[in-house]
Amino acid sequence: MDVTSLSVKELRAGLDKKEFSSPEITAAYLDRIKKIDGSLESYITVTEEEALTAANEAQKKIDSGDVSPLSGIPLAIKDNICTDGVKTTCASKMLENFIPPYNATAMEKLNAQGIVMLGKTSMDEFAMGGSTQTSAFKKTKNPYDLTRVPGGSSGGSAAAVGARLCAAALGSDTGGSIRQPASFCGVTGLKPTYGRVSRYGLVAFASSLDQIGPIANTAEDCGIILNAVCGYDYHDGTSENRPEEDFTAKVGMSMKGVKIAIPAEFYAEGIDEDVRKAVLAAADSYKAMGAELVDVSMPSLKYAVAAYYLIASAEASSNLSRYDGIKYGHRSDITGDYNELITASRSEGFGDEVKRRILLGNYALCSGYYDAYYGKAMALKQKIREEYNEIFGKCDIILTPTAPGVAYGVNENIHDPKKMYQADICTVTVNIASLPAISTTCGYDGKGMPIGMSLIGKMWDEATIIGAASAFEQGFERVPANI
Amino acid sequence: MVKYLAKLGKLSFTDEELVKAVKDMTSIIEIMDTIKEIDITYDPLKDNHNVYLKDLRKDEAMGSLPTDKLLMNATNSENCFVVPKVVE
Repeated sequence: MDVTSLSVKELRAGLDKKEFSSPEITAAYLDRIKKIDGSLESYITVTEEEALTAANEAQKKIDSGDVSPLSGIPLAIKDNICTDGVKTTCASKMLENFIPPYNATAMEKLNAQGIVMLGKTSMDEFAMGGSTQTSAFKKTKNPYDLTRVPGGSSGGSAAAVGARLCAAALGSDTGGSIRQPASFCGVTGLKPTYGRVSRYGLVAFASSLDQIGPIANTAEDCGIILNAVCGYDYHDGTSENRPEEDFTAKVGMSMKGVKIAIPAEFYAEGIDEDVRKAVLAAADSYKAMGAELVDVSMPSLKYAVAAYYLIASAEASSNLSRYDGIKYGHRSDITGDYNELITASRSEGFGDEVKRRILLGNYALCSGYYDAYYGKAMALKQKIREEYNEIFGKCDIILTPTAPGVAYGVNENIHDPKKMYQADICTVTVNIASLPAISTTCGYDGKGMPIGMSLIGKMWDEATIIGAASAFEQGFERVPANI
Repeated sequence: MVKYLAKLGKLSFTDEELVKAVKDMTSIIEIMDTIKEIDITYDPLKDNHNVYLKDLRKDEAMGSLPTDKLLMNATNSENCFVVPKVVE
């Protein structure tokens, strides 16, 4: 049996039945990482020694009957989630040597369950990008075709799951950074409701939009991981204290009578024909399961990319002002006064895309431009929320493509920021409206590249979109990456 | 304009980098300008979705990380961050 092809749920069952041990499955993943990751480049740091130690510890607990849902399960962690004593680079020269002195709350919660962390995965620098090609260290490739991008910013996490270099992974999503790479790499990614998972220890990009979430082989696995990392945290005032629930509770649910909204604007010009056909075919599958399809409209979608980039960049320009080369992060060797040191440290440490976002954020917040850009973007945020509320007044979930196309070549688009930004059209409104959404594979194009669809849920209703995604996955035959 | 924005962000560009930054920003601002078409106004009273006042933590003294851990990623000396001289 190849244990690396099993889901988290199947690994749990196998571990509990003693069909294999945590050290055995950990070794199997580490072996694949050694064989494959030289060309895939999904990990920035592999924590082999710590992983084997953690696996032995987890196995002792499993043997003694002290078992949590993720005990002994090998996972990968995006490199913007702080891990005590393990380098957390954000794929930036700015944090190349940064070793966090504490764990992110999500990491603490995973450790409390006894996971085995295999390593830290690559990403776009500071999570700014959709290709993982802005990483200063590992420009991850797509497991279905090494000449193509894995998406981003959580491209390392998605590629590692798709290539079976971990059982599942944590990513983060500010404008689609979990869902789009999950779509490109043929796996499942969940962006939870804003406030569901503590952001404490997640290196800040845009604080009103950032959210940690899982990338896994199945929607049910995403639910299992969300069960572990969710919850109020006094370190993060935007996390919410909600009643405890099981996010896998609706796996196996009937789709009969479920109202699925199909917003016309998400299927309009700019969406590749293969993608449109595959997602609409998925809609037909749901209809065949008894769901009701409802045509709806989201007129503000055409302004969403602009609103998103103005809000996200404004927040990024503020959040990234903490990098001064003094408290932590890259410090320039130049000798000069205080301002010269800060300017040199930032100019040497940040890459081109991060600098562009800082410039754009400053532009949006500039005196004289604030009302026309940031103020208008905030007004659009309200309008987009209202349009979602209207749709959810008559529907249970919304079905859209996750991205306008499939994964593109590693040298395409990345030198054209305008084109890169416009590619986020299908995902950014979910973050603007704080909603949960899950992306799962719904088809393949003529060259075998995965196509993703997104199910968007009402606030705090992750259970329904996990259940609905799972219902589709159970009737859909995935083609694993041949790597 | 780009020079001014860079100064605000404490970033410096070479002449060559500046030419590219101006080109990129011009192209990006074309997208941002699309929102000028729509006539709507932000209402701050509506925008309290992400603030859950009931869950704010109590204002009480708590432990913090030890000094050596806080300094471990910085150039430091005698339990202090080292900065350029700012006072003659």
